[in-house]
Amino acid sequence: MRLTKSQRHLLEGGSDAQRQAMRILLALAKLSDADRLIPVTGAHVSGASYKMIGDPGLEFLEDAARDARVVIPTTVNPLGTDLQQWQDLGIPPEFAAKQERIAAAYERMGVRPTYSCTPYHLGTRPALGEHIAWAESNAVCFANSVLGARTNRESGPSALAAAIVGATPEYGLHLDEGRRPTVVVNAPVRPRDLDFSLIGLVAGERVGDGLPFFRGFRGSESDLKWLGAALASSGSCGMFLLEGVTPEARRASRRGLPSISITRKDLDEARWQHTDGTDADLIALGSPQLSAEELRDIARRVERSPPRIPVWVFTSRAVREANPEAVATIERVGGRVLADTCLEVTLLEHRFGTVATPSGKGAHYLPTLCKQKVILDRIDVLLERYA
Amino acid sequence: MKLRARPIAPGHATGTALVSPAPFSFVGGVNPTTGEILDPQAGAGERLSGRIFAFPQGKGSTVGSYVIYGLAKRGVGPAAIVNSAAEGIIAVGATLAGIPLVDRFDVGGLRTGDRLIVDGTRGTLELPDVRAVHVVTALLRNQGRILIVRRSEKVGSFRGRWSAVSGYLEGREVPKTRAVREIREETGIRGAIFRAASSPVLARDDATMYVVHPFLFDVPGRRVRLDWENVEHRWIRPTDLDRYDTVPRLRDVVAAALSTSNSKSPTRTRSTRRPRPR
Repeated sequence: MRLTKSQRHLLEGGSDAQRQAMRILLALAKLSDADRLIPVTGAHVSGASYKMIGDPGLEFLEDAARDARVVIPTTVNPLGTDLQQWQDLGIPPEFAAKQERIAAAYERMGVRPTYSCTPYHLGTRPALGEHIAWAESNAVCFANSVLGARTNRESGPSALAAAIVGATPEYGLHLDEGRRPTVVVNAPVRPRDLDFSLIGLVAGERVGDGLPFFRGFRGSESDLKWLGAALASSGSCGMFLLEGVTPEARRASRRGLPSISITRKDLDEARWQHTDGTDADLIALGSPQLSAEELRDIARRVERSPPRIPVWVFTSRAVREANPEAVATIERVGGRVLADTCLEVTLLEHRFGTVATPSGKGAHYLPTLCKQKVILDRIDVLLERYA
Repeated sequence: MKLRARPIAPGHATGTALVSPAPFSFVGGVNPTTGEILDPQAGAGERLSGRIFAFPQGKGSTVGSYVIYGLAKRGVGPAAIVNSAAEGIIAVGATLAGIPLVDRFDVGGLRTGDRLIVDGTRGTLELPDVRAVHVVTALLRNQGRILIVRRSEKVGSFRGRWSAVSGYLEGREVPKTRAVREIREETGIRGAIFRAASSPVLARDDATMYVVHPFLFDVPGRRVRLDWENVEHRWIRPTDLDRYDTVPRLRDVVAAALSTSNSKSPTRTRSTRRPRPR
């Protein structure tokens, strides 16, 4: 293992938090046979919802915040509830209090209080080839695939360690050889909206931890966000390539790779597999959080056909505050726009039993993380059904 | 006996082993404040405190790292962790907690209650009450089939059971040299091409540990001339191994030899650095 002079200094003479962060990075480097740490320009940390990390996580973060400070721009994942609306949502006060302590610990460390799983919607858009250390699987997939930045699938503590040191072990998706496709996925299905989530769910299950090279369709940045989020949920992919669309697809060699096909029938089956509910209590949009455009699109849709069951829309605080009209429209029809939190890491199980959603990632996690039955379908279908 | 392992988190610990044969999740698998094991496969009711906790690998939520940290902070965490293949959750947790961690050690050879000494700085694991017997096993492959042989009634152990070509290591002999010699003596096959060596598989027999060093060779033909040690031979598909009454852990030895990903082992010798055709 080669360390720079300043890395060695952190390991031997740094603060407690710096030495601990260095030890984490070195242990991970040993696991992956990395022989050095490379500088990263930014970090995104996961593990902020009290529902997910519980008392063990709270305890660790408060201990760490005593002397840990991040040295690079660092954003953080959604919390377990909206810090401003939790009382209206029936969140137990003890839960909210502990959630606030987690948020405070991150802020003491110098982490930007974004509480968002979509840092790429908030102006954090690393450039092609830029090395970063991101946790949160959908953000990792987006950064590697759509932006061409380079990050492994970090965990909460490993991303935090990278933020404290400003470096990460060099292996996997940081290296050219780790970014080569392992399987060609033909999907000539003319996808639109929900189909991108479904392609992701099907491909993730078949590809596992491989790196798929998709062919046969095109999609916008928003489409690829939903595809990547689903892909990184049902599989453990950190990156995909899409012919003619993603920046590194052109240079990728597909020679000798196995190939699989995804058909319309596969997509329909995936939708049925992820639908075990019959009647929804809630329509939920998020997982990942909606962008400003996606939020305004939903506002227009619910204005046209107001649903008779509540609609909860998850987005970031920044997007919520920048779009008061869309928020007002959604609230007018009985919906809520929740910030600081997101679909599967928020507390839902105390109020709902069946959730309808157009998110493939949401449909994947809701049964286990929120004990919900799920209806996975297109948003226009759901709004029509619950009109 | 003392064997090498890969050092991941530094430190030194002595204790009795608690062994889980299955992958373990610290979220749900253990009471996070008392260190009492909840997972039945890992010995529900046992306490982690002061034990050397051995399991193949971590699984489940990454919150497991924080659970390990909290256990150590309360003084109810394990004294050390031994994995067959460590992954991020355990590595981060052990590091946060200051618990020594080694991996690339076959935990299948350990038993709950074994006295163990773990050195997570240098990467060694010692069982003072267990005697090691080093064995080489040479898996011979020809066009997708592997050779198994049935041991004769004249050999010292596992009479009548199916095995791969194998033999005891004598003195300071290099394992691969012994493997090549065994191939010649037991099968008469010449021109075997070395393909891979993998880290040892441990077959336990009370106070004796058979440390099996697996090797994979490709051979040019299937003609076999047995010596006195074996009475019968067959070329089989690896998946058909289940149908035979074999020596202990042969299936794991075969899997280790056939998996190229496992070939970076502490036992690696210089000659194994030759590029392997895929």
